Amino acid sequence: MAVLGQLPSLKPVTAGTEQKTGSAIPPVKFSKQQRATLDAVQMQLFPDDGDGPSARDLNALRYLEWALDDPDNRADGDPEFIIKGIGWLEDLAQTTFGERFSGLSRTQQQRLLTQTADSEAGSNWLSLLIYYLLEALLLDPLYGGNPNQIGWKWLGHQPGFPRPTPGHEFRRYIT
Amino acid sequence: MTTSPREFDVCIVGSGAGAGPVALTLSQAGYDVCVLEKGGWYHETDFFKDEQLPRHNAFQSQLENERHVLVEPDGEGGWNESTTDQFWGGNIVGGASNFMSGYFHRLKPEDFRLLSTFGPIEGATVADWPIEYDDLEPYYTKVESIVGVSGKIVKHPNLEPRSTPDYPFPPTREHPIAARFDQACNKLGLHPLPMARAILSRPHNGRNACEYSGYCGSYGCHSGAKGSARAALLNTALASGHCTLIDHAKVYRINTNPKGNGESVDYFDTQGASHTIRAKIIVVACYAIESVRLLLSSPGPRHPEGIGNRHRQIGKNLHCCAGGTGHGVFDLSRLAPAEASALRTLGPFFNRALQDWYFIDDRKLAPRRIKGGTIDFVFDPPSPTSEANALKWDNGKLLWGTPLKKRLKSHFTQSKNFKFEVFCDWLTNDDCFVTLDTQEKDKWGSPVARVQVGYHPHDLKVGQYLIDRGVEVMRAMGADRAWGNVYSQPTSNLIAGGLRFGHDPKTSALDADCRVHGVDNIFVTDGSFMPNGGSVTPTFTIYANAFRVADIIRRQLA
Repeated sequence: MAVLGQLPSLKPVTAGTEQKTGSAIPPVKFSKQQRATLDAVQMQLFPDDGDGPSARDLNALRYLEWALDDPDNRADGDPEFIIKGIGWLEDLAQTTFGERFSGLSRTQQQRLLTQTADSEAGSNWLSLLIYYLLEALLLDPLYGGNPNQIGWKWLGHQPGFPRPTPGHEFRRYIT
Repeated sequence: MTTSPREFDVCIVGSGAGAGPVALTLSQAGYDVCVLEKGGWYHETDFFKDEQLPRHNAFQSQLENERHVLVEPDGEGGWNESTTDQFWGGNIVGGASNFMSGYFHRLKPEDFRLLSTFGPIEGATVADWPIEYDDLEPYYTKVESIVGVSGKIVKHPNLEPRSTPDYPFPPTREHPIAARFDQACNKLGLHPLPMARAILSRPHNGRNACEYSGYCGSYGCHSGAKGSARAALLNTALASGHCTLIDHAKVYRINTNPKGNGESVDYFDTQGASHTIRAKIIVVACYAIESVRLLLSSPGPRHPEGIGNRHRQIGKNLHCCAGGTGHGVFDLSRLAPAEASALRTLGPFFNRALQDWYFIDDRKLAPRRIKGGTIDFVFDPPSPTSEANALKWDNGKLLWGTPLKKRLKSHFTQSKNFKFEVFCDWLTNDDCFVTLDTQEKDKWGSPVARVQVGYHPHDLKVGQYLIDRGVEVMRAMGADRAWGNVYSQPTSNLIAGGLRFGHDPKTSALDADCRVHGVDNIFVTDGSFMPNGGSVTPTFTIYANAFRVADIIRRQLA
């Protein structure tokens, strides 16, 4: 749908579940092992390569957990889809290298992610993780990513004013 | 649970651009006015520049409460049905005007008589208006001073007649790109126009001037400079002591008496309790689609098919805004440092428009002179996460790791994207209309609107012509890359029509005064009266017409 003079809303349709009421779906908590896999994947997607913040610098994993608790994102089926993808990737790591993904070398991890991106579902899964990573890079630090504006500073982004303050998170304005 | 009805002279359903002028005019004249708004009541202090607000459709009806069933062309001659897109503009006190960019162009005299000026187009339901430009001119002038329009008149061949020499407020601050634009246009023999904005360049009536945060458009205005119906009109109406505003009031029915005239309006509060407002005059102004839905949802003894629907005109001739968008991207690393730094500026506005092709007389396009449109040169409201997400795909291949980081850095620090938007008429046609959906109901139990949005192929031809002109201008400005795309999809934020005004009840829904045909006291003052939108955003004209109708109502009450 086109919009003139305004922002398009941009959530990619990746999980493709039918429209549900987000608040009716229970929140998803990652296990310790799932967190380790996600952390390793995020560090490949947004590495510490000497130019700009890495996924860990951005608090990307903590941000992801926060974001997946949001009713809109839950209604889109994102938590289930992300957990499903962790399962695929771990299966692939076991069958290819006989090892957990987080225990593999950087080169081995890259190889598995490239293989994952070859399938449509795998590519959608990575794309969704990048979507949340980029939110952790560029949303206001109020939401848990972009600590001390590290992402904004790296990209020279000038925020608007006034910036949102604690107690005025966007959810408060959704009726 | 119900309560006993409250009585007012005037009850207005909705609180946006169509409602504000009526509330202001009549409350200041001493009449007791009640404004019913479905959404919440927010103030300047609530409007943070938080990208999450527009991205998550804050301040709008949520899909889980009520949807629009949208029927859109599938691109292969058939139709796609969707209930996940939505056409809500802003369900909040002040309506979508809180989130407009405020590009305020007037319509031109020819827009009031498209049919007689340009002749019929097969497959389109074009009609002349029952009023002339001269009837609306005083009200455009009124809007400029009351709402606060800033700008500067420059003479050009398509300038509409004006009763005042210039806008009451000087132009808002301009971005350095504007000078580059003027130079390029002068070289091309075009007429670069400073764009008028419903944004205060200096304080007015308790509102601050623009603070130039660079976050306009979809973002609510923190300073009060943006001329929303809330900031510019309703606050003043409330101060008169004669205006009552009830928020979170979901109007579900207008009640009519045995003569067919309006008697009262029923609404639900947040607890689901029903209330009734009785009024001498009922004004419907809750956005084109929803105003149609309310009339159709209100059958009465004289209106078995919905109010004013005897000739099945309610919901017909809906229109969006045809056109498209284009971009010019400048590679800052190729420019002198001072120039690059100037183009990086965030805050002041681009504020330029071209109306050289408002009418097109080009045999390569059409065998006769036809209606064209406007090109506005603007900044998108910033949305860095949206921008970043668009960069993760490179020709269909997903980027990550260092290649993604490099691309992000280059985009954000070494390039600047300037945008243009093309506005042309969305020709009304028999495939663009609103009805009640027969299956789906909203959470209050009323049928939701079913909106079919078919377009006329002529629109794409005109849109593409203007897009090509916009791209030429971007190239002449020195853009390293320039491109544009015409829309065939509806513009969800610029919908009007559906309750066309006209002299003949068989071909229109409202009379020339915007009163529902055959009813003495129900008026419609949002954008649904418009037979065509003009080749500009419609808000300025909605404001002006609502002031016009407010005067008519005042005379009727006297």
